[in-house]
Formats: sequence, structure tokens, C-alpha cells
Amino acid sequence: MHNHQITNKHRFIGFALIGLVVYILSNIVDEWTAYQGATVAVFVVAIASVILLTGYSGQISLGHGALLAIGAYAAALTQIYFSAPLWICFVAAVLVTAFFGAILGAAAARLSGPYLAGTTLALAVGLPSIANQFSILGGEQGISFDAGWPPLSLGETFTQYKWFLWIATLAALISMWWVQNILRSRYGRSWRALKSNEVAAELSGITIGRSKVLAFTVSAGIAGLAGALLATTLNNVSPSAFPLALSFAIATGAVLSGVNTLGGVMIGSVALVAIPEIATSFSDRWSGSENVAVLLPDFIVSALLILTVFLAPKGPIEKLRSRHSK
Amino acid sequence: MFEFVNTLLIGITAGSIYSLMAIAIVLVWRSTRVINFATGGLALASTFVGASILEKTGSFWIALPVAMLAGAAFSAFIEYFFLRPLLKRSGEKNQEIFLAIIATLGLLGIIKAILKFIYGDEIGSLPPPLSDKGFIVSGESIALSPLRLMILGIVLLLMIVLTFIFQRTNLGLSLRAASFAPEISRLSGIRVDLIRTAGWAIAGAAGATAGVLQTTNGSGSVSPDSFEFTLLFVFGFVAAVIGGIESLIGAVVGSLTLGVILAIILMYLGSSLVFFAAFVILILVLLLRPSGIIGVKGGRRA
Repeated sequence: MHNHQITNKHRFIGFALIGLVVYILSNIVDEWTAYQGATVAVFVVAIASVILLTGYSGQISLGHGALLAIGAYAAALTQIYFSAPLWICFVAAVLVTAFFGAILGAAAARLSGPYLAGTTLALAVGLPSIANQFSILGGEQGISFDAGWPPLSLGETFTQYKWFLWIATLAALISMWWVQNILRSRYGRSWRALKSNEVAAELSGITIGRSKVLAFTVSAGIAGLAGALLATTLNNVSPSAFPLALSFAIATGAVLSGVNTLGGVMIGSVALVAIPEIATSFSDRWSGSENVAVLLPDFIVSALLILTVFLAPKGPIEKLRSRHSK
Repeated sequence: MFEFVNTLLIGITAGSIYSLMAIAIVLVWRSTRVINFATGGLALASTFVGASILEKTGSFWIALPVAMLAGAAFSAFIEYFFLRPLLKRSGEKNQEIFLAIIATLGLLGIIKAILKFIYGDEIGSLPPPLSDKGFIVSGESIALSPLRLMILGIVLLLMIVLTFIFQRTNLGLSLRAASFAPEISRLSGIRVDLIRTAGWAIAGAAGATAGVLQTTNGSGSVSPDSFEFTLLFVFGFVAAVIGGIESLIGAVVGSLTLGVILAIILMYLGSSLVFFAAFVILILVLLLRPSGIIGVKGGRRA
């Protein structure tokens, strides 16, 4: 292991392996698990967008649920009004949300700490509800978004949920590949520089404002993709799909993954999807009380969150790494 | 005109309740540099205490002070056993504000789970102690009722008490000193840790009052899943940010502004725009003044 450098080639092999594992698993698991797998992939993309913004560029966002909503509506409207193929809808979701992110980022770049937290929180509460104001957005029922049936060439037994899993996983792998590259690029380095010390970053020639707005734009674009993927798994886009709880869940997932490293992004996503499952089966077996079954998932996620903040504030990956190097 | 005055009255009442929430958030921020997302959850727990006292004694005037005491106790408990160790670990760095927010978010989840465990589907009931029928002025009933008058009275009284504490007592002086310059305060013999707990306790009492008043002014009952309390927290926080997050007067000004503008929008533009309007107001204020109406410009740069 002397000076062993992890190069992009190794990473590509890693990504391909993950893809292969998901491909094999998708042929084994049942319908429901495939659906859960697709949800994990959606969370991976959403959490990565928060990690990029908060962990790397140092800007807090508690309102990423609102950005997901913009992406989902953009994808659905593109499908309805232009009858565009699925991948065009995804591209449209990314571009439209990135555009909104740029506007939001221009305002956010002037704000810090609690001001930014408050602004993004107000956005998360406010944005989804304006769907009720404009009939084009379908009100409380929302509008449909149809990923279509899997192509016949994949065989007749190929199910809808497996199709979702494939779409979401492929989108997640491509976007994560791109994100980890951008984080290693000039831009990623300048974001980390301005996070750790704004004055020093400015002195080394980084334009603070432009750099922050760029981070917000990129993060929003990825969040938009996550929103479009979420809409795919739900078959529908409505305000109730983007509650404040979604924004909080994404932020929670980011902390569980370790907000300063992209590498742990799978941990938080799997935790968010798996814990409710485990809690339900646990309370089914050990307790007849319906009340406990309802509150147990939230309780476990909250407790885990607090434990993470106390024991591994930099995230599980960093924790292991620092233990190794001792 | 008549309708407009009524809208203003509704807005001022709502705003005065937000202002207590905003004050709770500002006090916690000033004493420990943390945005406490569990403020709403603590208010919820205290309101449940108030409801059970009301059920036992039948008197609102015993229930409210007990709820305030409970709020202060819960809040001080959290500061001492939860936040203090957390801040010691993270080294009180400004960068870690996100982690602290997320930790209090976890706390909120735990508080809600405990309340759900205790109360299940039951609701806490806090019916208005006074009539909520509006006074009759020249043959028409206006939006000012004995209940609303009582709420405004309680809020005003608390403001006077808080102003007195902060301007005229040693505790208030220590609170201001500890938030302004913790190191120097420590050197001049102020027990900063103790003062921080006191700040949290006052914040807890203010939050509890906001919770009780919001419940009596609204539906009269509260459930462990209450969305109303989430909104109370969100609007309180937005108001605190509008006011500049550092300033108590700012929190009050921000809350009344927010309450009145939201009431006007609710009256004339419809309910689906209210939440978004809160965001727009916040952005507009922050674009004009990035550190709020009464913010300290360029202060406390890390």
C-alpha cells in the first residue's frame, strides 16, 4: 500500500461494480424490494446534492425538498406539453431546477448561517403549496408523470418496479460519477477553500460570490434530477409529495452519510429507507401496539441522528479512516 | 375599511404569538449560537402539560404558569444534558451550525415520538378561557374578542417583564454580556455556562406561552402530530430572521410585520399563497438588509 493512489480508473471500476451488483440483485429480489431500491437511488442523488452544497461549499440548505419539487414539476410538464421521451424530461428537470438554483443562489450568496437556514426553510414550506394557485400545476391532486412500461425487448416478465430501479440506478450512477469529478476539479477545490476560510480563499483569487452561486446552481440541478426520479417512482407529482419532512429527511441523510464526504452517500440513503422497514417488522414481532409501530421509525432515525452528531460528526467514513490511520 | 381593520386585528394577534416564538429562538441563538429546531417540540410538550393541568384544576390561570415552568424546565434540561456536551465536542465552531441544527432536529423527532408514545391518538384540549365572540361596534361584530384582548395582554405583559429583566437586573446584564463576549464575561466573573442555561430556560417559558396561546386562539386542541406547531416554529423563525436574529426588539417587529402581511394576503389573495408569501417577504427584507431589520452589520465574523 505504499503511496497507493486511487485513480479515476479505480473509481470507474467501483461504479461499474455497484451497477453490476444492482443488476444482479434486481433479478433476484421481489417487487417491493426493487421499489425500495429505486427509492434508495433517489435518496442517493438528493443527499449528494446537499453534501455538495453544505459539506463542500459550506452553504446550509434545509429546503432541498423544494428544489426536488421544481425538478419533478419540470419533468412532468415537459412530458405533458412536449410529449418528450423520458431522458429529455430528466434533462429538462436538471436545467430548469439549476436555473432556479442560480436565482436562489444569487440571493443566498449574501447570506450566512441562520439567515440562509431561515430562507431555505421558508422556501421548503412555501414553494410546494403554490401548486394550488396555478391550474397548470394540477392543484392538490397534482399531475401525472409516466415512466412508461419497460421495453418489450427486456422480456414479458420484466416488472414496472424493476424498470424504475434500473432507471433510478443508472441516473444515480451517471450523476454521482459527474459529481465526484466536479468535486475533484478546480471548482470543487475552490468550494472547499471558501468553506474553510473565506478571506484566505478570496486572497488566493477565488471570486466568492460567483463560486457560491455556482455551487448552488450545480446542487439545484442534481436536486432537480432527484425530484424527477422521485416523480418517476410515484407516477405523479403533487404538493403532498414534497412536505417539509422530505427536506428534513434529506438533511438527515446527509448527516448520517457524513456531510463532508461524498463517499458515504449510500449509508444515509440506505438508512433512511431501511430503518422504517426494520422498525415495522420489529414492532410487528415484539409488540402488538399500533402506536409503537407508528412512532418507532421516527424515533430510531432521530436517535441515530443524535448518536452520529455526537460520535462521528464528520460521518462514518471519516471515522473509520481516522481510526485506520492511527 | 371595516374588513381591513378586522384583518389588521387578526394579523396583530397572530403576530404577537409569533413574537413569543421568535423571542424563544433569538434567546437561544444569543446564548449558544444554535438555532433550536426543537423549540416547536418543546412548546408542544409544555402545551400538553398545560392541557393536563387545565383538565385537573379547571383553571386556565393555573395551567398557563405551570406550562411556562414546564417549558423552562424542559428547555434548561436540554441545554444542560444535550447541547452543552455537543458544543464541547464540536468546539463551538461557527462552521458546525448545520450539525447543531440537525442535532436539534433529531431532538424534535425524539420529543414527538415520546409525546406520541404517551398520548397516542389522544388530543390535549385547551378551550378558550374567555369568549371568542367579537365585541359589537356600531351593530357589527369586530375581530377583537375578549380572548384576543387577553392574548395581546399576556404578550404585552411578558414583553414588559422581559424588558425589565434585560434592562434592569443583574441576570439581564449577565445574559447580554455572555452573548456579546463570552470570554470577557468569564474573566469578569460571570458564570457563562449557568447564564446560558438561564437563557434557554427563559426561551422555554416564552415558547410554552406561544404554544398555549396559539392553541387557545386556534382550534382549542392539540395533537402530538400537530402541523400547527411546525408552522408556529417556521413563522417564528422567519420572523426572528427578518428582525435580525440577534435582537429581541427585531423579533417583535419582524413578527408583527409578518403576522399583519400574512393576514392581509390570507384575506385578499387566498390561502395557497400564504406560505410562499412568508418566503418572499423574507427574501425581500434580506436582499435590502442582509442581516435583518435590526441586524448588526459585519458583526461576529469568524
